[in-house]
Amino acid sequence: MTSTALAQSKAKPAKPAKGAKPAAPAKSPTPAKADDAGEIEITPDDAKKDGAAPPASGDPADEIEMGDEKPGDLGADLNAADPNAAAVKVTPIKKTPLSWQDIVVVIRKPFLKLRRVELLPFVGTTMNDNMVRHYTVGGELAYYLTDVLAVGVEGMYYAHSFREPFDLVARQARRLPTVNEYNWSAALDFHYVPVYGKFAVLDHSLVTWEAFFTAGIGAGQSQVVPRDTKFPGFTNTLIMPNVGASMRFFLSKWLTVSLGIRDYVFFDHFEPKGRSDEMYSTASDAKAHADGSLINNVMFQIGIGFWLPASFDYTTFR
Amino acid sequence: MKNDILLPVGGLVVVGVLAMSSATYAEPRQNSLAADVAVRHRRLLVKNRLELAPLFESTINADFRHVIGGGLKLEYHFTDKLSFGVIGVGSTSLNTKLVDKIIPSLITQADKDAMTKAGMMIREPSQDEFKDRLNTMPLHGAAYLSITPWYGKLAAFSQAYVAFDFYFQAGVAFASLKSNCPSNICNDPSPGQSHPDPAGGPEPIAPDGNPNNDAPLNSGSRVGLYLGGGIHVFLNDFLALDMTVRDYAFTDNPSGADFNADLFVSDADNRFLHHLFFGVGISVMLPTTVRRTP
Repeated sequence: MTSTALAQSKAKPAKPAKGAKPAAPAKSPTPAKADDAGEIEITPDDAKKDGAAPPASGDPADEIEMGDEKPGDLGADLNAADPNAAAVKVTPIKKTPLSWQDIVVVIRKPFLKLRRVELLPFVGTTMNDNMVRHYTVGGELAYYLTDVLAVGVEGMYYAHSFREPFDLVARQARRLPTVNEYNWSAALDFHYVPVYGKFAVLDHSLVTWEAFFTAGIGAGQSQVVPRDTKFPGFTNTLIMPNVGASMRFFLSKWLTVSLGIRDYVFFDHFEPKGRSDEMYSTASDAKAHADGSLINNVMFQIGIGFWLPASFDYTTFR
Repeated sequence: MKNDILLPVGGLVVVGVLAMSSATYAEPRQNSLAADVAVRHRRLLVKNRLELAPLFESTINADFRHVIGGGLKLEYHFTDKLSFGVIGVGSTSLNTKLVDKIIPSLITQADKDAMTKAGMMIREPSQDEFKDRLNTMPLHGAAYLSITPWYGKLAAFSQAYVAFDFYFQAGVAFASLKSNCPSNICNDPSPGQSHPDPAGGPEPIAPDGNPNNDAPLNSGSRVGLYLGGGIHVFLNDFLALDMTVRDYAFTDNPSGADFNADLFVSDADNRFLHHLFFGVGISVMLPTTVRRTP
């Protein structure tokens, strides 16, 4: 109330045209009437009477330049949403009846995802395998059905390197580890965004972010790394459901950074023990006698999201 | 002639003045909010407060033994961005899946003794030789400086609005390591060195070339580097959920085996290793009341 009164007192008092109807707020859930109980009616005269604001000088020097709003600048949106920033906007005063329902206490979201597509190239790495570390390059295309719900498809290509225990176990315990490498995977994912927020960096710039959960179903391929290289490996086709949690940081209206953890769960088949020239020497024979195990491949992923269309319009009353 | 000179000069002067004035006019005026703080009337949830946090901690992706334990974090926040703290954790250890897979594949100590007596040279460790040399970490902790550059608030399910901050820590790590290899397993009197013949023979006995019966040398105190990063999620003015990823880096040889392939175990087999932990705790901020910024 006070800030609104201040805002209006800064401007030149412009009386509404005689007989002009009060403008009702667009798409207000209940149309405001002048005589409704609980209405707030603010006029320059009221503000003067209350002594809440100094008289408008009309001096342009009192005005504050807000600067040019760059398209796609989230900071500009945040400033625009700030009640203090709005307080210095110079606009002609109209006699506008307001209702309590029109008062916004939480700023509107600076980034809307509804009916937008996110193209997310990302990289990732294994977090929970102490024998082999996989690195991935991938991408996801997601369409947001609402601002909190999306459906998407992802694909990943894997590369790997062996970690220290792989050699240590072979050298110290005289045991050749049984490992599989992953070649590729793809999935249909669903995302739900229950958490959003903002934070200040070093007490100055504000960054908005959100957290979302993912669940999906997909397929992939693993390949046996033979303990003895004279024997052929074989590949497995995997059914790979996944769950995960991620964070997204908004940099502009079309650019975001996402990072998160995803658990790909699947039943994989490994090279059988005791493989020799006499036993399981061929790939098909080894595959037929492969040992199975349930695997949780937990991966850390980080990517840059590009959003289309590159901008958006607010459709709701502010 | 005079007019011919005056005209272009006058024109230049007019253009110069206009250019100057337009340049002056184009100079952007600053928004008075530009230099202001990002958040006014902010609750100072950590400044000048003592943080006391009972916590649970577990290793991430340990090679041979998971370290799981509980402890306490004590931290004083000098400002809303800078603090100093100490953390101590007492732990127990559990074999990883890798160890559980390796041990059944190894021969027993009794079988190995019998084979050795029969004159066979067995290079692989017995189950006991492998298991008894793995070390544990009954106590570890750190003293650190912490900075909190980011703070904010979040809305969960459009219902719960809570404050949070991110912090980063760096300092000194310490750990107490323990291994308990019995004398019937680790019975090499001088690993990697010749030693006098206990039977009194004139020739010294050459190194046995068997690292499996050497002492593991992976127990005792260690001091190293500590790095951490985490988040406080404030449940109210004085309680916060505290989640942290911590890296205690120090020299260690978790398997207690021969790492550098010189066929005996020595201090040279220790190397600088990162021990990653995930911790979760409940922080109690004292005093329990908070102040606000202007």
